Amino acid sequence: MEKKSIETKRNTKSHLKTLTRNGRVKKLRTTRRVVKYGTAGFVRNIWLSIAATLVMTITLLILGLTVVANIVLSQTADSIRDKIDITIFFKPQTEDGILLEAKEIMAKDSNVKSVEIANSAEEYQRFLEENTDNEKLMEVLADEEMQEIMINTMQSTMRVKVKNVDNLDSVRNIVEDNELFKANLDSEKEPTYDVNRTEIATITSWANIAKNGGIILGIVFLVISILIIFNTIRMSIFSRREEIKMMKLVGADRHFIRGPFLVEARICGMISGFIASTIGYVGLIIFAPKVVNYGVDMSAITNIVQSEWIIAVYIAFITIGMIIGTFSAKLAIRKYLH
Amino acid sequence: MILLDNVTKIYPKDSEPALDNVSLHVDPNEFLFIVGQSGAGKSTLLKMLTKEENPSSGKIIVGGIDLDYVKKRHIPHYRRRLGVVFQDNKLLPSRTVYENVAFALEIAGMSNKEINRTVPKVLDLVGLLDKAHKFPSNLSGGEIQRVGIARSVARQPKILIADEPTANLDPVTTKEIIDLLKRINDFGTTVLVTTHNDGIVNYLQKRVVTLDHGKIISDQKGKGVYRLEKEDPKNKRKTMPKVDKRPLHATKTKTPPKKKIIRTI
Repeated sequence: MEKKSIETKRNTKSHLKTLTRNGRVKKLRTTRRVVKYGTAGFVRNIWLSIAATLVMTITLLILGLTVVANIVLSQTADSIRDKIDITIFFKPQTEDGILLEAKEIMAKDSNVKSVEIANSAEEYQRFLEENTDNEKLMEVLADEEMQEIMINTMQSTMRVKVKNVDNLDSVRNIVEDNELFKANLDSEKEPTYDVNRTEIATITSWANIAKNGGIILGIVFLVISILIIFNTIRMSIFSRREEIKMMKLVGADRHFIRGPFLVEARICGMISGFIASTIGYVGLIIFAPKVVNYGVDMSAITNIVQSEWIIAVYIAFITIGMIIGTFSAKLAIRKYLH
Repeated sequence: MILLDNVTKIYPKDSEPALDNVSLHVDPNEFLFIVGQSGAGKSTLLKMLTKEENPSSGKIIVGGIDLDYVKKRHIPHYRRRLGVVFQDNKLLPSRTVYENVAFALEIAGMSNKEINRTVPKVLDLVGLLDKAHKFPSNLSGGEIQRVGIARSVARQPKILIADEPTANLDPVTTKEIIDLLKRINDFGTTVLVTTHNDGIVNYLQKRVVTLDHGKIISDQKGKGVYRLEKEDPKNKRKTMPKVDKRPLHATKTKTPPKKKIIRTI
């Protein structure tokens, strides 16, 4: 009896070995068929396919918009921050040598991005340039004597741009402790780090909101979109659950059953990616110039849109669409494969 | 070809076993009817042969394969060795008749050349060659069932299992389907058919196994060995078919019984 059982076990194993043998040609053939049936399924269930594609297009557009908004906001905030400098006022008629020496001291600080100096004459020129529209002032300054008084009383300046606007202690320390600075600073005019403090704080908080909010919004939209797409695909699969059951009963393996659904979802993702990036591209071309008028920095985005990088954007959108489609379809069909 | 040895199946939520110590041996090239009222255990038996369900105890060997050793990943490959005809015409609605039959061959990894050679032959066998490119929604019930049979025999399985293949069909179509199954059996395929249609059982006069309450209560061959009694809709399993109650070993003879003994239990 035991001998017979061992023989049956051996027979079974040999039968199963023969059955499961699957050559490379067979695998290739199966893959080709999976793609064929996936494509046919997409066409034959065209209304469900259109619905899934539309949902995915909207999702990708929202995702794209979130990314663009994040980049634009961060960049706008950065460019505003970049315009902020700390102005340190030296006594009028401070010698250029002293100013240069002070510049060298300030430039050595690790938080300092750049230092610009201007003597009284240069400051006067700058003052003139800033006020060219003020005719009355120009009339007064046309007088040579007046000009001389202005140059003699104008402070020389040092404009410092820093890497981290939140921490100005090192700059403050130099200004307050360095002997050269102490000896030549204009006592009547304080450096402007306090004047810009609120502005700096506001911009910093905006930049942080843009960055963190963008990331959170992006994740929220991604989860919502996956849920929507997952449900759309699940609806499609639910309506075909009998088909799946039949496939299993006639001996189709998981790959053959799941494959066409994954192909359908990937086609949806591909088309959605293409449509979403085209809409985004056209939208940016139309709306970017209008937004720029409001002082928003769109340079990074327009640079991408107007260069060959746009191809990479298309590829990225199509890939993301395919990944979302595959993930949702896998999740949706899992239940019916067990 | 098929061996069931003391097979018992108890579903977790049921107190009574769906199959109770069932032992059955089916020879190669045999035509076997499995009959019984609803809930007798016919479907459970077939589900275990197709490995949809596993027995709670006992052993099942199909075509030399001990189903105990068939792991989950082997199931699709095992099922490809069987031909299965379903009661509810499980066809792929979005594929044509031709594609439905070809599907059974595609999943086995056959080449297009082989498929194009085999499918027309099989469709010709079931008389549907002219409807090869129609969709299931454009076919009659009998035609759909014939497509199901064509699909199940396309891979030339050694065993064909048909679960109530004539349910919901008119008498003429029923006879056509049974004749078709008989022809397939004549080609050398072992055929198992579950039914509660006494007409087709008596028409073919093949071996009949009667199940009731999960037990084999009769196993014999010949005309009139099974007669359907109307089911009591209130209590399906309490009403039993009328059967010949001779001992099982006495029914293994090839000759039909001389005297019909029909008793009501």
